[in-house]
Amino acid sequence: MISNIITMNGYALYVWVSFGFTLFACTLLYYRTYKTLKKYEEDFALELKKLTAAKQAKVLKDSKIANQVLASYSKSI
Amino acid sequence: MFEFFSFSNIFSFIDKTIRFVNSIFFIILIVGLSFALIFSPPDYLQGDSVRIMYVHVPSAWIGLASFTSISILSFLNFLFKIKNLSLITKSLAPIGLMFTCIAIVTGSLWGQPTWGTWWAWDARLTSMLVLMLFYIIFILSFKFIKTESSAIKFSSIIAIIGSINIPIIKYSVDWWSTLHQPASINIAGKTTIHSSMLVPLLLMLLVLLLYCALIFLMKYKTEIIRIKKKNIKRL
Repeated sequence: MISNIITMNGYALYVWVSFGFTLFACTLLYYRTYKTLKKYEEDFALELKKLTAAKQAKVLKDSKIANQVLASYSKSI
Repeated sequence: MFEFFSFSNIFSFIDKTIRFVNSIFFIILIVGLSFALIFSPPDYLQGDSVRIMYVHVPSAWIGLASFTSISILSFLNFLFKIKNLSLITKSLAPIGLMFTCIAIVTGSLWGQPTWGTWWAWDARLTSMLVLMLFYIIFILSFKFIKTESSAIKFSSIIAIIGSINIPIIKYSVDWWSTLHQPASINIAGKTTIHSSMLVPLLLMLLVLLLYCALIFLMKYKTEIIRIKKKNIKRL
């Protein structure tokens, strides 16, 4: 049974390459999307740090998103 | 009602949804792959090469559905100028492009043992290639057009023109004589595929849809952060 799954009764090349290519493409897109998201979170945190303390406090008070992005960024470092 | 659709509410909803999808994704992936590669029977004519269907068909569906959504949303954006819609289309496009590429590549891999050729310039295959080109132009318009409003306008026009290709893809197998077989699954009509193959197909569709949701949400979140970063720079 296991050898049937591996050889796919002569169609192994086509079947495994199809599934492998799909897995590879999906992993690549996931990795790139994740990296971009983390990069933007980092850029956002750095941009926030450039502000004066008063402006930082105002942004964090007014924007829920700013808090969430900072929390997510702190988790990832 | 409108408060619910504010960026901050959407943002926390995205985080919760990403966590939920992450928690169930691998279980459904393993179940889907087990059915697709082990438990589903080989076809009486095509043998085990039929298993390619479990990645090829859902990929093609997602590629088509993404572009249809992009076209509709672009049209609405063109009329009503809703910023959120362009964020959604921008986040959907890479997913659609990737699944269209997967459909073309896996279709080619399926074509060799079934038809005896990797590629033929028939209506279905060529129209899928045209769809891929529309996706590429749509994505590149955001990269190369510097003014955001011009990029949105240009990409919307591309999506609206590209929507002409959608019915051509769908009905190409009925309108012209092609190597590609007609649809076996019809929502309104008769489905000719056996349940032992339909179940793995739907499971793999679910797996890929969950994956799409994950990528879409991460991309959408990135777009929101990009906008918020711009707002901080203005302070």
